[in-house]
Formats: sequence, structure tokens, C-alpha cells
Amino acid sequence: MISTPQAGALQGPLLSRRMAALRAVDAAAHEVVLTALPRLTAYCGHEAALAEAVDLTAQIATEAPDAARVFAERLYGQPEMMADAAGVRRWTLHGLQRHRNDAAHRIDYFRRNDPRPFFDQRARNDSDYLMEHRGGLIHYLAGFGIAQQSVDLHEPQDEREPAQAPTADKEMIRLPRRLDVTETGQRDLLARAMLAHIAAHLRHSPLARMAGNRRPMLLAMIALIEDARVERLMAQEYPGLHAVWSSFFTASKEASGHDLAGLMARLARALHDPTYSDTNTWVRKGRELFEEAAARDLRDVDAFDYAARQLSIDIGRMHLSLPIRSRPTVAYRDDNALLWSPDLALPVDEAADGDIELIPSAARDDPLLAQDLSDLDLRPRYVYQEWDHRLEALREDWTTVFEQPRQNRGIEATASFTPPTRTSHHGARRTPDRSIRLTRQAEGDEIDMNAMVENVVQQRSGLSPDGRIFCHHSRRRRSTAVVLLMDLSTSTNRFVPGSFTKVIDLEKQAAVMVAEMLDAGRDRVAVHGFSSNGRHEVNYRRIKNFDEPFGPGQRAELAALTSGLSTRMGAALRHATTALAKETTDTKVILLLTDGEPSDIDVVEENYLVEDAREAVARAAARRVRTFCLTLDRRADRYVRRIFGARNFLIVERASAFTANTNNTLMRLLTR
Amino acid sequence: MNDDILPLLIEDEPYYRSTGNEVELFSAAMTRALPMMLKGPTGCGKTRFVEHMAWRLKRPLVTMACNEDMTASDLLGRWLLDAQGTVWHDGPLTTAVRHGAICYLDEVVEARQDTTVVIHPLTDNRRILHLDKRGEVVKAHPDFRLVVSYNPGYQSVAKDLKPSTSQRFGAIAFDFPPPAIEADIVAYESGVSPDIAERLVAVATQSRMLRGRGLDEGMSTRMLIHAGALIAEGISTHDACALAMTVPLSDDIDLQAALRGFVESQFGLWP
Repeated sequence: MISTPQAGALQGPLLSRRMAALRAVDAAAHEVVLTALPRLTAYCGHEAALAEAVDLTAQIATEAPDAARVFAERLYGQPEMMADAAGVRRWTLHGLQRHRNDAAHRIDYFRRNDPRPFFDQRARNDSDYLMEHRGGLIHYLAGFGIAQQSVDLHEPQDEREPAQAPTADKEMIRLPRRLDVTETGQRDLLARAMLAHIAAHLRHSPLARMAGNRRPMLLAMIALIEDARVERLMAQEYPGLHAVWSSFFTASKEASGHDLAGLMARLARALHDPTYSDTNTWVRKGRELFEEAAARDLRDVDAFDYAARQLSIDIGRMHLSLPIRSRPTVAYRDDNALLWSPDLALPVDEAADGDIELIPSAARDDPLLAQDLSDLDLRPRYVYQEWDHRLEALREDWTTVFEQPRQNRGIEATASFTPPTRTSHHGARRTPDRSIRLTRQAEGDEIDMNAMVENVVQQRSGLSPDGRIFCHHSRRRRSTAVVLLMDLSTSTNRFVPGSFTKVIDLEKQAAVMVAEMLDAGRDRVAVHGFSSNGRHEVNYRRIKNFDEPFGPGQRAELAALTSGLSTRMGAALRHATTALAKETTDTKVILLLTDGEPSDIDVVEENYLVEDAREAVARAAARRVRTFCLTLDRRADRYVRRIFGARNFLIVERASAFTANTNNTLMRLLTR
Repeated sequence: MNDDILPLLIEDEPYYRSTGNEVELFSAAMTRALPMMLKGPTGCGKTRFVEHMAWRLKRPLVTMACNEDMTASDLLGRWLLDAQGTVWHDGPLTTAVRHGAICYLDEVVEARQDTTVVIHPLTDNRRILHLDKRGEVVKAHPDFRLVVSYNPGYQSVAKDLKPSTSQRFGAIAFDFPPPAIEADIVAYESGVSPDIAERLVAVATQSRMLRGRGLDEGMSTRMLIHAGALIAEGISTHDACALAMTVPLSDDIDLQAALRGFVESQFGLWP
């Protein structure tokens, strides 16, 4: 089918497989990609890169069929963009996430939006760095009394543009994705300098003033003076900040020149650094005016406005003009948009906002958006990330897990079966974890001095002592919480090869065995099951919760389970991990019972879900949740080892051995 | 006054900087023999206040730091053995009750609740102490006073005073002093210059804004005094702040980064 001579060199079984997958998903997009392939070949060095383009088209097709064709056309018209396949992939995911509720915008995004901003590797490094340290930055802001605003990043921008300035409004402080620093160690310093400067504005600047008929030149001068004024006020209270900001003043006569931007940078430095000397008369005058006003009263904004007006008049006389897209003169300073009320603010940079609409973050979860109220889905929903191994990044908010409502359990059934041990167990679980000292024992490792003395006292006073004069330190036995996670996908409905038992029935047997065994003891056990129908609907069912007994209601629900849909293992593992995170036991285990590898209807790429599940297992381990997999797939070795690690899986080939093996595995996990 | 407790008299005035009317309130409560409870964050000067008041009122002070392994006999006393046979040994509380001292139970919620009930008969108009092991009822000396302290902040719900205990006390709430006074205290206690002391207090003030954002408590006055003392010893400001203030406070990376930022905003870049 793909037989164009240019493309032929690169085509092999991988590409044919991907093309077949795409055709199954979206025939129209497949056609367009087919015509684009020869052109793409020129830009893609190897078959895997072509397959990547096909994969992306299929990905879009499963998410938004309308956009896939547009994307394919884009591939045809602009094949050179596939030179950075990872960048295009990030761009694609960004579009799908951003416009998930709006088909028109989505199509527009794939038709017109520029993927190039996503190719910027340095911006990506800096963004990752900032997001990683975001918690600390928010704490840092809070220390200055700024608790209203959160910290986030700007939209990505083309790397050829100069780095954006930070901005601030009532809710959010946005930092640039690329930090212009010479050495990476300075990144955190720059971030702190930015936030401290914005904190200075929020504490000391008059915010959202009416700009009135002030000219842009005057506004720029007022901003320059205001920056220096608030920093000086701030440094009175936090003297160390002066040094933090100092690192970023580099302007000088030689370095910055005589144009307006250069002069402004030199003035900014002169106002900041008392040791800096400048020969320019305008800079000198600016410094004198500022110091004069500062000597009188730093809080008198009008006096400083007056100085700014004088300076802007002088600039007018020098016939210097503002560059069209002016940037703050110092790297850490913000764009000062917060000084002016929005309707009259400095001209908004259209290009920076792009054609991306802002979705209020709450909107996607707002059930009222659904047109038809009968479609309203009231099941509790949980949104999880998913790991994209090609990007080596997490796709934020990618999967949605729905918890199935509980089956209608007979009230009489639960009422008739309430084990009395449950409550005491519950109380014991809440005792703090420490070793217990047993005193007044008949035997032990040490002598209990208090008991000893009492004994002798009693002896001397003619009474018979009770003789229990020892104490010993005992350890509390480690407790374990186990989530038995059952794969309920369609494939579990088949018979185990060479037997007359269905997979799901085996899973049920094992579940009953595990639940009965652990429920009686002091370990905690929950039985959960999952199946998925694409990333938007991962069904998760709690057959038995930790705090419930394994009673007739639970048994009935377990027995009534049926197979259906697919296996999105990663999402289920993440949800089970979340459930376990609330447990206070010493060890936590997820025991996964399955019969095959992860798969789902909206994923055509091989390995994607395997790698995602692997990431979920690693995350669980980081939260001290251990995972173990029992599988009935005799060919599972290919993937379970990758997901669960070399020793944390067991392939059971015979149905008869499954329950026994589950038992053994569990014993091993509990004693380890 | 009994010879046993004379060493417990405080001779030199312990430094205490009053920030309100707590000295008058406490004196009045002591005059009326009202049991007192001092609440406040750790390291804000509760213990120092009690020492100061004991000196001011010229009463001996018996201090007992409570812990959860403490038993009633640790407070009341126990039988011990000697060559002749058994001999009763008064516990700190009994000593204070017998001879008329101020008994100060520091961090009283750390003690188990069944231990703290032994003070109940002391804190109402009976003013007696049962020593059941000895078969004795000790009538409190007219000068006996009971003071407890606790920190309502970080302890869990499980560790709280029973209402039946807490309602027997009058209470004064303590907090960190206003910045200017706190700086005076730090400068006086540690010997650093007033300028450094002010900056240390500013760092602490910033850290206290993170209360509830992962920090149970901000930096205490005590921490600042430690840092100040190190600085006065010639340690660099940044090292002293790290040793005495930022590093002990939290293990969280994000909080550490912010705390280091606060130090930087007072003392400049980290070397």
C-alpha cells in the first residue's frame, strides 16, 4: 500500500503496522498521512520517526477525530516540523489538553498554532526546574506575606524570542519558561529575585492605577522609578535582598550603549547600586531626582511620579523613542502590568498569548457543563497523570478513574455479620508506633526496678511479694495492608488454556482465599477490581474496603463480577496506591491478579501502557507501596519483568496452581 | 522554710522581658493560690517566665519535665530500700506540696492522662495530696503553687488535656513577642549587635508565616538566641543561621529552600 519510491527506503514492518493501526482508527486521516509520507521521509532520518508521526495522528484520532485530518494535512504542508518529533509530541498533547472541551479551538490549534515553541530544549529544562521547585517558591512568597497568589509558568514561546518577563495579577504569578542566566546554578537565584521583586510591588506599589492619558514613554519611566522605589522600601525590611538583586545589574556605558533601552538599564543600575558611577547626564539627573525624593519620603508616590515625568520630558528632548516591544530593563523585573488597571494597561502583547483560550481550571470537572442532565455522571472521579515514555514526561490530568457505586448489598446480610473483633482492631491501629515495654513480667530480659523495690518492700513488711519483677521490650508486629487488585477486562472471560475454568473465576477464588485469610488476622485487606474504556473512563470497583468485614454482601458482590472492557493498568495502580496512602500500616502491598498485558482502546502504540504501568509501580514504590503481579499469561515474561521488576511477579501457567500460588506469594510478602 | 528546698530558691534574677500584663496577672493568681496554665508555642519563654516569677515571688521552684513514661510515683514519691529497711522518698510534687514551693510541670500533656489526675485534689479547695502507697494525706503548705505549661500547637488530638483537668486552671496565652522586643531579647541573651538581632527576628517572622504550610511551628526565640550566640562566637551569619535555625526546623526540601531564601533576604547571598 505504501509504495512511493522515495519512501520505500524507510519502510519496514513497523511502519506498515502503525499505518494499519491508523487506518483502523481513522481512514480519512490515514489517506492524508499516506500522501504526506514521501514528503515526511525527507525530514525523518529513520523509520521510527515516521512511525512516530503516524502514532501521533492515531493518538489525535482517538481523542478528537475531527482534528486528526487537520493534523495530517499539517504534516503534509509542513513536514519539516517532524524533525523534532518529541517537540511535536509535546505540542500535540498540549493542544489536546488545552482544548479538550472545544472542538473549534482544537481544529484551529492544529491548523495554525506554531509547534516551534515546544522545540526549545533549554526552556524545557528551565520549566522542569521551576516546576520542581515550585513548592519552595510558593513558601518563599508566603514568607513575605504574599499568600493570595500562586506560582505558575507562562505559555511556551518560540526560542528565538527574548525570554518573557514575569507577570503578576490577583491570583497568579507567572514566571517565564526560559531563564536567561549564564550558569544553571543561578536559576534559583533568578527565580527568587523575580518573586521578591513582585512581592515588593504587591506590598508597596499602588496597584491597578488608572493610566489616564499618560504616554507609553511616561508609563515606562514611572515603572522604572517605581521598581527602584519599591525595592528600596523592601530592602529596608529585608536588607539581604539588595545582594540578591545586585547579581542581575550588568548595564554599563560600554555594555548597554546610548539608546533608550541602554540608558534605562544604566539608570536602573544607578538607582540600585550606590557605588556605580555613570557619565551620562540624563542618568545622573535621574539619580539625583530619585535620591532627592527618597531622602524626603520613600512612600510619597507623587514625588516619584514627578521625577519620572521630568525624565520622560528629557528623553523627548533627546528624540529617543521606546522600542515597540520593550522588555523590562533588568532580567528579574516583571512587566509592571500590575501597576495599571487592565483596560488602560500597556499594550498587551498579542503574540505572547497566542490563540489559546484560557479554560477556568474548574470547568472540566463541572458537571453542569453537560447539556443533558440525564447524562450526568455522579460517580466519584479521580484524575491521574500518565507517563509518556517517548517524552519522558508525565501527561498531566490524563486519565480519569471512576469509582463504581456500591452494589445494593442486602442490609440484613451486613447486619447479621458484624465481627466483634473489628472495633478493637480499629482502635489498636491508631496507637502510635513504638516498641512496647512490658513491665511486671514473671520473666524477661531486665529487672523492673519499680516492681523489684516494691517486692522487697512487701517482703520486709511481712507480705508475700508477687514475684513478677522483670520487664522486657517487645516489638509490635509489623502490620500490612494489602490491596488485591483484580483485572476485570474482557480477556478474563476466556478459559485458562488446558482447563475448564475462566480466568475471572480463578481471580475470584484467589480473592476469597486472600480476604478470608487476612481479614481474620490483624492485617488489613481490600479487594478492588478495574477495567477501562479509554483514558476518560477507567472503572474502579471496591468490592471490599479496608474497613469492611468480608461479609455476605461483599461475597455476593465478588461473585457477581463480570468481565468487560480493557486493561489500563497504570491508572488502576495509581488509584490503588492512593487508597493505600491513607493506611497507617507498616507495609503496604498491591497484589495484582491479571491475565495479560496492559491495553486500551485509545492506545495504538506498543509499550506505551507498559511503560506507564512501570512508572506507576515506581511511583508506588516511592510512596512505600510494594507491588506484586500474579499473571496467567504464559508469554507475560516480555512485559511483567519490565513493569514490576525482576522479582516481583509470578507467572502461573496452570489454573489449579493459581490459588495456591497466590497464597504462597502473599505469605512471602507478609513475612518479608 | 525547709532546708531541703532552699537550694531551689532562685537567687539571681532570670532575665525576662515582659510583653504585656502577664507579670501582674500571674502575681495576682499566685496571691490567690490559683493553679496556672501557660500556653504557647515552643521556645517563646514560658519556662523562663516561671523562673522569673519564682525569683520575683521569692518561692522555691520545683520543675518537672513531663514525658509519657512518667508514672504517678515519679511525681508523688516511692519506697526505697536502705540498710534498716524501707524508706519513703518524696517525689518532686510531694516535696513542693509539703514545703511550699512552686511546682512547675513542663509540657504537661506529654504525661499520660492517668498520671495527671493525681493533681486534681490539689487544684480545688481541698488542696490535699493522697499518697496512697504510704497511707498519708498531705495537706498543702499555704505557699504551695501549681503551674503547668503546654504547647497547644503540634500535639495531636490524642494528646490534649482532659476538660476535667484543664478547667481547674487559670491560663495565660503566650506568643512570640513583637519584633522589636524580640530583637532586644535576642541581643541581650546572645550578645549579638541589635542590627543582627533584628535581622534574625525578621527571618523568624518570615518562617512563622509558613505555619500551617508544612511547618508546625516557626522559628522560636530560643533558636534565634542560639544562632545569635554562635554569631557572637565568631561563626559566620549564614552558617549560624543554617545550624541553629533553618536545618533543625524541617526536613522538607521545599521548606528548606524557602527558609534559606529568608536568611538570604536578610543577610545576602549564601556563600
